Amino acid sequence: MRIALAFLVVVCCAPRLGFAGRSFYGWLYGTEVLPERGIELQTWILETNDRYGTHAKESSIWWGPLIGVTDQLELALPIELEWVTQDNPTRTLFTFRRFGIEARYRLASADPADASRFVPLLRVAAKRDVSVRDDVRVEGDLVTSYEVGPFQAQIDLGFVSDITPHTHHSDARPGAGLSLRLAEGLRFGGEVYSEISFESRAETWAAAGPDLSWTHGRFWFSGAVGIGLYHVKVAPRAMWGIAF
Amino acid sequence: MKIAVFAAAVVGVLAGPGVAEPGGRVTGTVTVTEPDGKTGDAVDVIVYVVGFTEPPTAEVTTVSQKGRKFVPDLVAITVNERVAFPNFDPFLHNVFSQSGARKFDLGSYPRGESKDKQFPQAGVVDVYCNIHPEMAATILVLPNRRHVRTDARGHFDIQGVPPGDWTVFAYARRATKPTSAKVTVKPNAETVVALELARGAEVVHLNKYGEKYHEQTTVYPNGH
Repeated sequence: MRIALAFLVVVCCAPRLGFAGRSFYGWLYGTEVLPERGIELQTWILETNDRYGTHAKESSIWWGPLIGVTDQLELALPIELEWVTQDNPTRTLFTFRRFGIEARYRLASADPADASRFVPLLRVAAKRDVSVRDDVRVEGDLVTSYEVGPFQAQIDLGFVSDITPHTHHSDARPGAGLSLRLAEGLRFGGEVYSEISFESRAETWAAAGPDLSWTHGRFWFSGAVGIGLYHVKVAPRAMWGIAF
Repeated sequence: MKIAVFAAAVVGVLAGPGVAEPGGRVTGTVTVTEPDGKTGDAVDVIVYVVGFTEPPTAEVTTVSQKGRKFVPDLVAITVNERVAFPNFDPFLHNVFSQSGARKFDLGSYPRGESKDKQFPQAGVVDVYCNIHPEMAATILVLPNRRHVRTDARGHFDIQGVPPGDWTVFAYARRATKPTSAKVTVKPNAETVVALELARGAEVVHLNKYGEKYHEQTTVYPNGH
C-alpha cells in the first residue's frame, strides 16, 4: 500500500518540463534556444490574405539552419522567399527576397529547472534585400514568457526597419499569447499579433486566433490561424524544426 | 525504469522533517548476486538511510567523462547539491537526462570543459551521453547526507544517523530490485544490518530524442 502510494505521489508530482516546440505560438518567437553545438533546420510558412482593404495576398517562406553557440545564444542564417499578388491574379511575383543573419539570446538559464518562471529573450537580425539592392532590413524582438503550471503567457515586442540611403520604413510588430499544456509535448492556445506601420496607417494590420504546438523527439511544429481584426482577412502561419 | 521509479518514490515519500544530530551508527554488509547467480563484488554499492531530511553541503560531486565512460557511474548526493560533468576525452560528449526527477541537456562540449547541474528534487536520475550509447551513470538524489559507498568487501558504516525508526537502502546500478531494511537507531549505539542485492544486465536506453542509437561505438580504455 505504501509503495503504491509512493508510486502515485512520484508519478503525479514528477516535473513535466515543457518541451513542446521551440515556440508555442504561430506568430510569436519562443524563448527556448538550442543547447550548445545543437543544430536545427527551421522552416516557416506564413500568409496574409486581403491586406490593406485590397486583394493583396502574400505568402512567405523562411528557411534556415540554427546553431547553438552557447546554451543561451543561438544563431540563424535564414533565407526568405516571397510570393505576392494584388487585384490582378496574373500579376504575381515570386522571388528570393532576403537573406541574413540573426541572433537569439535567452536572458535566463537554458535549463527550465534553473530558470525562473519569467524568461526574457532578445532577438536581433540583419538582412539584405535581394531585389532592392541598397535596402538593409533590421529586425528586433524582446520576447518575455511567464510559465506557471500548464499555462504559459508570452509577449513579443518586435520591430522591423527597412533602411535605404534615402528612405526609412519601420513597423512595430507586437503580439501576445496564452498557451495551455494539454499533454506532454502538446499545447493549445490563442494569440494576437499585429504589424503597425509608422508611416502609413493603411499598411497596418492585426489578427487573432487559435494556435497549436507539438513536439515529438527531434521534431517540433507550431502554427496559428489568425482571423483578421484590422486590414486583413486571414493570416495563418506555421513553423517547424528538426534538430540534429 | 521500475526500479528508478520505486527508488524515487522511496526517497521522496519517506523523507520526513529535519532532525537534529548527534545520533548512532548503522553498519553492516551488502552481498551482491550477479546475473549468473554467483556472488559478485560488492563495490559500487550506495547505502543510504531515508526518513528524515538534512540540508545539502556546498560540495560539488564530480562525474567525469573519460574513456567513453562516466567515472564514477554511480554517485549519491543530497537534494540541492550540484554535480559537475568535466569532459576529459579528446572528443565531444553530450550529457543529458530524461529522468522525471531531473531532465536536462548539457549540449555538446569538448575536452577541458565542464558543466554542472543542481538537483532540487529527490529521486533517481539516469544520465547518458547522446553521442556514445555505452555511457551511462546514475545519480541518487537523497533527502539527507547519511549515504556511503561500500568498501571492497561490501562493508558500510553510516555515522551520525539521528535516533529514530528509519529505512536503510542499498542501491547499485543494474540492480534488479531495491533492497531495504527497517532499523531503529539509538543515540551512541550501533545498528547492524545485512542487505542482499541482485544485479541484472545493463538496460538499453534511448537517446535524448527518444530514438534508438544508430550503432554501438567502441569503448576505449580509460586514459586513451
